[in-house]
Amino acid sequence: MRNQSSVKQEFLRKWITGLRRYSCEKKNMSFFERKKAIKLSADLAMASTRDKTTRWSQALIANNTDNVFIASSSSSSPKKSSSSRSRNMTTLMRRSRPTRVKSAKKEMSSARCIAKRLMEKRTRKLKNLLPGGESMDEGCLVAETLDYIQSLRDQIEVMRCLVTASQLIINPS
Amino acid sequence: MSNISRSSRQRSESTRISDDQIVQLVSKLRQLVPEIRTRRSNKVSASKVLQETCNYIKNLHREVDDLSERLAQLLSTIDADSAEAAIIRSLLSN
Repeated sequence: MRNQSSVKQEFLRKWITGLRRYSCEKKNMSFFERKKAIKLSADLAMASTRDKTTRWSQALIANNTDNVFIASSSSSSPKKSSSSRSRNMTTLMRRSRPTRVKSAKKEMSSARCIAKRLMEKRTRKLKNLLPGGESMDEGCLVAETLDYIQSLRDQIEVMRCLVTASQLIINPS
Repeated sequence: MSNISRSSRQRSESTRISDDQIVQLVSKLRQLVPEIRTRRSNKVSASKVLQETCNYIKNLHREVDDLSERLAQLLSTIDADSAEAAIIRSLLSN
């Protein structure tokens, strides 16, 4: 188990750095743009605390590098290759899904089929929720899910603190 | 609902989430989230666990979105480089 408070501090530090970049880059953002910038920099900051040790964090960073309007070189290479790679793998996985085999005992097999189909459907749903989940094999899916959930919880806790602190600063009563 | 019993899984595919992993997922989720209710019996419905997990992740996403919105409203009145930002940082690091 990683040290949670140090993770949160690292997240906060990186998030504020990201927010600073946005505010330098774009003055007079619309509300929607600001919200998007806050959310994106938070997600990226959390993903970067994983330091490339998890797939979801790598996928999140790869998928979002196009959207980041940092004040660095305008000729930043778009990370299209990784996202198209994951798209190709999704197609591959779809094609290679095992076909259902009909057994002689119809009742039992239909119950088994339904259960199996349900599992597949829900596994797919989970994969869609995880960044980069479509190209993950089921072996690492559970570990990635748990790590992702823990990271989201940390992120939310820090964001909540910032909301509270900001409210206190604006209305010091 | 499928039971996690080895005898019913004659045809084990390496591409499926294994029983052990579901058990691990359940125990970890119970630690993280007391609110997640799984059946209080030996049998754990694997697909139900997945469903609960998906719902939980969706809720977390919604919360992040909601907090981003609130921050967008609040932070518009604070300049990121100002002293207030430094105060917030020090408050949060304690």
